[in-house]
This record gives sequence, structure tokens and C-alpha cells, in this order.
Amino acid sequence: MPEAIEIQLKKGALELCVLALLSPKDGYAYEIAARLADEIGMGEGTIYPLMRRLQSDGLVETYLVESSAGPPRKYYKLTEAGRASFTSQKAAWASFSGAVESILGGAQ
Amino acid sequence: MTRQAFIARLRDGLTGLPAQAVADIISDYETHFAEGEAAGRTEAEVAAALGDPGRLAREIRAESSLSRWKSERSPGAAAGAIAAVLGLGAIDVLILLPVLMPVIGVLFALGVASVVGMFAGGGIFVVGPFAGFPGGIAAALLAGIGVMAGSASLGAVVTLASIGLINALVWYGRLHYRLLKPALES
Repeated sequence: MPEAIEIQLKKGALELCVLALLSPKDGYAYEIAARLADEIGMGEGTIYPLMRRLQSDGLVETYLVESSAGPPRKYYKLTEAGRASFTSQKAAWASFSGAVESILGGAQ
Repeated sequence: MTRQAFIARLRDGLTGLPAQAVADIISDYETHFAEGEAAGRTEAEVAAALGDPGRLAREIRAESSLSRWKSERSPGAAAGAIAAVLGLGAIDVLILLPVLMPVIGVLFALGVASVVGMFAGGGIFVVGPFAGFPGGIAAALLAGIGVMAGSASLGAVVTLASIGLINALVWYGRLHYRLLKPALES
């Protein structure tokens, strides 16, 4: 079932992607959700439970910013622990995807 | 679905969580609708992209019970975790139930046996020396201590086995999250 594999892959990569988006600059949930929905086809509703988990794990913290149009926005910011987690997850991802790439390359 | 209907169904589904958590979650989704409208989408489009609010609420509640069990090994947290896994409504969990019931029954019976054993051992220890226990006073005291120690270790084994069983159930339940799935399949 290729769909099931794709779902599992996206699920695993989701947290890494969120940390990566927050790494250069703080962001708010709608923006993160919209980018992930566009680029990796993730359901928008998924982002909020994920952000709550990241927050309770101490990887991100939030602050409110008044917005000119609409309600105040809740911004997410990586904590020190969040940066450390991003660095190690990114390294793990790079070595894993590199290994998969080389096996796939050999199979052709 | 309108924004109001979505929020109402989400709120219904979240009943039982702490009021502060419900308020936070509802406010996240309210903001999402407002941002979506500001970006020129209709309420129906935003609601469709978010997925089924009832399912969303069940999975949020399940995750909250399961993480409570992770941090707190109490009977209440265990019951919450089991209820949450059943609440995810996966059909194979229901098929699993007839298999699980005897296991849970045996664990429960052994648990009761260890409690009864504690009392019986205590009874032998206290009453035995005065009631002509075969072998005399020392034998009655030792037998009482022996029965209590055996019951205590049985109780410990039952507790460990129960924790292991619930952990396995929690792991199994987490496999059934579908928050991502409907959105990915559409």
C-alpha cells in the first residue's frame, strides 16, 4: 500500500518540518499550517495538536502579537531544547535519508 | 459546515478535559477560521481542510489521557487510557476485546487473590498462636509471614503485568490516529 507508506513518512517528518520552519524565525500556526498543507499535503487540523505537544514537551513557547487584521496571533518560538532537538533530528534525518538514497540508487 | 457548527461539535467532543485546555484548543481553531477568512477562504473551505471535528476531538482527548498515563501510574489514569483507546473506535480493538477480557479477568482474579492472601496471612499471624495452630506458636507466626510475603509478591507481579498490558494497549491505540489520514487522502 503506497498510500500507507506515504502517510507514515509524512507523519514522521512533520515534527521535523515544523521545527525547521520555526528555526530561522518565529511563526504563527496558520502560516505554518498553510505552508505544510501546500508543500507536503498535510491536514490543517493536525498542526494544533502537534504544536500543543511540542509546547508541553518544552520545545516551543508562545507569545501573543496584535494583528492589524483579525484576532491577535499566537506566535511560536523555539526554546533552547527545541533548537537542540531540531539539530539532532536534522542530523538523524540526513543520515537516514542518505542511507535510503544510496540503497535506492543501487537498486536501479 | 459553518464555523459555528464546527466549533460546537469540537466543544461537545472535548467535554471532560480541563476547562482551560478546552478554551485554549477552541481559541486555536477560532483563530484559524478568522485567519482563513482574512485570507479569502469561506468557512466551509476552512472546515473541510480541518477535517471532522468529532474525530479531531476524540484524538485530542485520547492523546491527553494517554500522556496522563505516561506521567502518572494510577488506576484512574489507567482507566482513562483504556477508555481513550476504546473511544478511538477502531474496529480491530473491538475484535481484540474478547481476547483481552480473559487476560484482564485473570489479572483481576490474581489481584483479588493477593489481597485475600494478605488478610489470610495476617489472620494466621495474629490468631494462629492462640488457636492451636499445628506446629505451635513459632510455626503460626512464620506461616503467617510466609503467606503475607507470598501475597505481596503476587500483588507486585500482577501490578507489573497490568502496567505492561496497558502500555501495550496505549501503543496499539496510538497506531489508530487518523488526524492525518483523511486530510491526506482527500
